[in-house]
Amino acid sequence: MSNSGMLLRLSGSLRGALSTRRRRTADEWVPGRNGGEAEQLFLRAKALFRMGDGETAIRLLRQASEIAPGFSDALEAEGEALDMSGDVATAAARYEEARRLRQTGRPGAPDRHFVLRQQGAHTAEIVAYTRVLKSLRKFALPHLARGNAYLADGQPEMALADYERALKLQPESLDALALKGEALSARGRYAAAIEVLDRVISARPKDPDSLNARGIAHMALGHIDQANADWRHQLELLGGRPAASAYVALRLAGYVVALPHLETMAGNDGRDPYWTLYLRTALLRLGRPLSDKGTVEGDSWVASLMRPGRHGRPPCRGAVPTRRRSPCRGSVCRPLVLAAGGRPGRADPRRACSGPQ
Amino acid sequence: MFSVIIYGRNDTHGYNLHKRAAISFNALAEVMSDPDDEILFVDYNTPDDHPTFPEAIHDTLTEKAKQVLRILRIRPEQHAHLKSKTHLVALEAQSRNVALRRSNPRNRWILYTNTDMLLVSRTEGESLSDILGAVPDGFYQIPRFELPEMLWEAAFDRRDPAGNLAKLRDWSVRYHLNQVVHNFMPMKYDALGDFQAALREDMFAIHGFDESMLLGWHCDSNLAARLALYRGRVDTLIDKLFGYHCDHTRVAAANNKGRQTRMNDQDQYIWNVSSPYVPAQADSWGWPDVEIEEVRLDRETSYQRFTAGLDAALKPATVPYTSTSLEWYLYDDLTYDIDHTLPFVADQMLTYPRSTSVMLVGTRGEFVERFLTSWRAMGFTGPVLVPNECEGLPSDLEGEERGAFEDLLPRAEMFIFEFGLATQHADEPIRIGRQAGPLDVKRLRMVTKLFKQATSTEAETRPPGRRTPRRFVGVNVIYNKFWPLFTDYVGANINPFCSQVLAGLPRNDPSLRGKVLRFRGRRAI
Repeated sequence: MSNSGMLLRLSGSLRGALSTRRRRTADEWVPGRNGGEAEQLFLRAKALFRMGDGETAIRLLRQASEIAPGFSDALEAEGEALDMSGDVATAAARYEEARRLRQTGRPGAPDRHFVLRQQGAHTAEIVAYTRVLKSLRKFALPHLARGNAYLADGQPEMALADYERALKLQPESLDALALKGEALSARGRYAAAIEVLDRVISARPKDPDSLNARGIAHMALGHIDQANADWRHQLELLGGRPAASAYVALRLAGYVVALPHLETMAGNDGRDPYWTLYLRTALLRLGRPLSDKGTVEGDSWVASLMRPGRHGRPPCRGAVPTRRRSPCRGSVCRPLVLAAGGRPGRADPRRACSGPQ
Repeated sequence: MFSVIIYGRNDTHGYNLHKRAAISFNALAEVMSDPDDEILFVDYNTPDDHPTFPEAIHDTLTEKAKQVLRILRIRPEQHAHLKSKTHLVALEAQSRNVALRRSNPRNRWILYTNTDMLLVSRTEGESLSDILGAVPDGFYQIPRFELPEMLWEAAFDRRDPAGNLAKLRDWSVRYHLNQVVHNFMPMKYDALGDFQAALREDMFAIHGFDESMLLGWHCDSNLAARLALYRGRVDTLIDKLFGYHCDHTRVAAANNKGRQTRMNDQDQYIWNVSSPYVPAQADSWGWPDVEIEEVRLDRETSYQRFTAGLDAALKPATVPYTSTSLEWYLYDDLTYDIDHTLPFVADQMLTYPRSTSVMLVGTRGEFVERFLTSWRAMGFTGPVLVPNECEGLPSDLEGEERGAFEDLLPRAEMFIFEFGLATQHADEPIRIGRQAGPLDVKRLRMVTKLFKQATSTEAETRPPGRRTPRRFVGVNVIYNKFWPLFTDYVGANINPFCSQVLAGLPRNDPSLRGKVLRFRGRRAI
């Protein structure tokens, strides 16, 4: 058996077994998006590295990266270990690769809560804040920061537990309450989310993030009028910030309102091909001619959607290649259908809005 | 690509501030390669009669540093509303936010650091602009490495940043300087405030630094906590560059009182932070509606303005030197040489805002005329207010405003009181025992009366909203009978006779004599 296999077997199996029968404590670490095996290796490597065994640490971190190729924190940790061992060139490459990996995928919708705009996995943050919680359990920040990392990593149940702990410490914290609402929504508990967000919004009626979140929860429950009301209110509060305003307007199917913001963003943010896609969608929906500008490079998914099909229109949805992991951010799902020239028909609101967006 | 934001004031914050700051300014400029890059130095609460800190050390800065440096001057008057809430004379959050608001909008990054840091890219020749241009959006920090005081003080040449950075590469290996000090998240590293690179857009979104942090310390940790929440991650640039701090602990800085140091509450501002935003200051952070003076070292410098002013008002001397005397029997002789005195008067003005309105009370028409010429040529835009009570002075000069003393008093931001002889001619010999004639006495009596009134009522006659006292400049008030008068009412230093000029703020003498003087002054008795 390899060293890493032995280590894994020894790594607290008893504690793990016990933990299934008791409530998790605040300072307990739970593996996340990169999977238990890779993350256990990461943890062990970090400990070995601190104890001076950089060589083994590097080996374990490489194994972790092989198991979870997108595990950017393992790559960065390997970079650090290599750097300290004097292999600066390889270290630099690892750091670069970690940065590149963290950029894959797209950030969340710009009209959403900041936590839901974050990209990539947050294993290192979860580990780091768990360590903070071993010393500083009575303060809100480490609970909230770790909860956010869990939520951004797609583990809303874990996030919810951290937000609950933060709320025990600061029962009046509207920030923690708003995050709890997001976590509930991400768990699909929309009614509970609305209840929590109602409290936030009654105390902070001009909180655009909470209005957005409640709108989404309402939409998921089919309360279209309430959802639209929240989003309309949010749109008013955004003060014309183009990215967020464009998204909210698209949620409202307000293409006329969205159009100038989309034009601004398509011009300003050439790195994101979705702006062009959404712009063309809006133009299509408004029956206006599509401009020749806005060719999309660097994203085959978007490019395929914008490739003219028969009759000079983009291909129908069936012809669109599927992605391993949907890049949807927020309202993307609906406009995609529209950009592809499909009929605007009634989309299933639950489908459009489920999960952290 | 990036705006560096640093702050300070023209004082002595810690040991050998001038040297380490010059080293740092020059080193920061050295790692800039993008035409939009800039160093924003917020000069916070330097006394009005001092130049800003970078102006005071400009000769030690490289041309490149002068070109990229923008100095934003926050006046004591602009700090006055916060004075009672803090023991500090320079406020970090306010300074950094004022700079952020006014930073170049074309720059993607804001780098928060301090005036004692040197940044060394790990790939020789790679600029920080290149580095920041290539990394993805995020919030980046690097660890701080300490540089013993002996090394930077003894071996660095202030004006040779490239040489200094090369020395650092060498020393870091020879003397084992590079030790990373890790810290709890969200701080990540110790002394994190010496390198925090954030997107300009993010800083605007989170409302800048928290301006309720008025007691010093932990502003950097608060920022880290808030940006860690906002971004979800604290990234490192340790693979790209190292940061070295010129250690300055031989003498404790003003905000360091050992265990008695007052600080912002760590629990409140770090561990219980729950949001990246500071909604209470959403519309006010960085003082968006406050006019902040900008000073440059590569154009329209104080020296250029000074010489422009004097060149317009003076002709070069035609003799190797002139003479005067301070012997006691000349005590009553009030003749003085305007050509010689004007540079010292102008010197008192230059550090004040260009919009300053100055009240000029005097006796000699030539002085008023020459002063006004130099005032305008120095680039001042504020009016020169001359009371109607001063007879015999020109009244049709450009930039001059005449009016009743009572009316002009609340408009004046500075005062010049000139005690000369109205009858003195330009070609008269100086200090040879000339006595004042009846006209001179009459005019001087009026100047004296207005002087007493202005100083005694200064506090209650300030322009609306002004909190700080106004400065009084006395011309021809050394070693003559107006010396005791001037220094009874104004807290002036002892100056050499040769300058002819004294200046200071109104005295608040609590003694019975002081009270009597003020009482008499107010009633012009």
